[in-house]
Amino acid sequence: MSKRSPGLSEQTYFVLAALLDGPLHGHAIIKKVVDLSEGRITLPVGTLYGALDRLAANGIITIEREEIFNGRKRRYFRITDEGDGMVRAEARRMQQAASVILRPRSLGASFA
Amino acid sequence: MTTLERRYRWLMRAYPNDYRADYLEELVGILLDSAKPGQALPPAREAFALITGGIRTRIIAAARGAAWTDGLHKGIVVLAVLNLAVLIPYAGRIPLWLALSAAALLLILRGHVWPALPVAGVVAVKLTAITMGRPWLDATLLPIFPDGWWAGPALYGSGGPIAPLASNVLIVGGLLILAASRRRPRTHSWWWLATVPLVAGSVPASLDIDAGSPTAVARICLEVTLLVGAAVAGHLTADPRWAIAASLYAVPALVALCEGIEDVTRQDVAHATLLVVLVLAAAVVPFRARHRILL
Repeated sequence: MSKRSPGLSEQTYFVLAALLDGPLHGHAIIKKVVDLSEGRITLPVGTLYGALDRLAANGIITIEREEIFNGRKRRYFRITDEGDGMVRAEARRMQQAASVILRPRSLGASFA
Repeated sequence: MTTLERRYRWLMRAYPNDYRADYLEELVGILLDSAKPGQALPPAREAFALITGGIRTRIIAAARGAAWTDGLHKGIVVLAVLNLAVLIPYAGRIPLWLALSAAALLLILRGHVWPALPVAGVVAVKLTAITMGRPWLDATLLPIFPDGWWAGPALYGSGGPIAPLASNVLIVGGLLILAASRRRPRTHSWWWLATVPLVAGSVPASLDIDAGSPTAVARICLEVTLLVGAAVAGHLTADPRWAIAASLYAVPALVALCEGIEDVTRQDVAHATLLVVLVLAAAVVPFRARHRILL
């Protein structure tokens, strides 16, 4: 029996994907999500920070460090092992789902 | 400080104070970094996300401590608000009982369980006496008609005694449970007092839904808003405290419906169905939300 899907939304998926290469602060996450999604997903700041708070509360990301930049505090977020496993499992699930549509059709299927 | 920064800081008031103390500068910094040169107005999408994010953060921050004691306390607050609201049109006839009902609400609201118990207790006895036509505690002339410009029936004149009794039993019984738990409940916002005039004079048994009376409409609108809010809060937090409060609220309203079953109209049934559906939604949602990470 497969484990129940954690219910990752597309936005959460891209936030976690953005953190796979290393810790980032909020503004860098927004820019990286735009890059990874080819401009399709632009996260408003209020939405991003709500998500980061919930992901941190669930142990999927953690705060790596805080630093002062231009007189303002900013936090760097790091994905945890649990979050890493979750986003990779979601990627595999989507890959399998995509393959159902994108795989080459057998010749026999054309005549079915 | 630019106009844009001032506007972003104003929008950030949607967040709780302690959240703003920690993260206001960080969020405003990112918002300003993302702004176009010369921009003075926050984009609608950012403004909406800040307001909804702030409300979400407030709800999540409210889901702390034991869920069942806080849910019970919230439910008692709502019932005490309605107890007081029912008496408002009769303020000139029963000023003492109105004042004691208001005192009970204030004590309950601020989490003073032990002082609230005797006050809520005597109010419960007096209101039960009025519904049963008994001269308990003082010699009140019955029936009690509304003051001057208030229209409507005599106090509790349009329904039976069981629904008001159920409401008061829940208030006093709930306070006893909270007192026995030895945990002082949290204080609730003074904003709850603002709901009292909105539902003044509304009794579940005499909601004149057919005629679309302003009192009935105001009560049903507030009821739907709070119950949908309870479901949303349960969805965001996977916490049952709002469902507990919603269930407590529904009990006297449904008892009133059963008590007056002979005179029940289709609108009454529709109203009760809506109430049950919303309470069930508020009860189920937290358990479904436990399996999900929400963005």
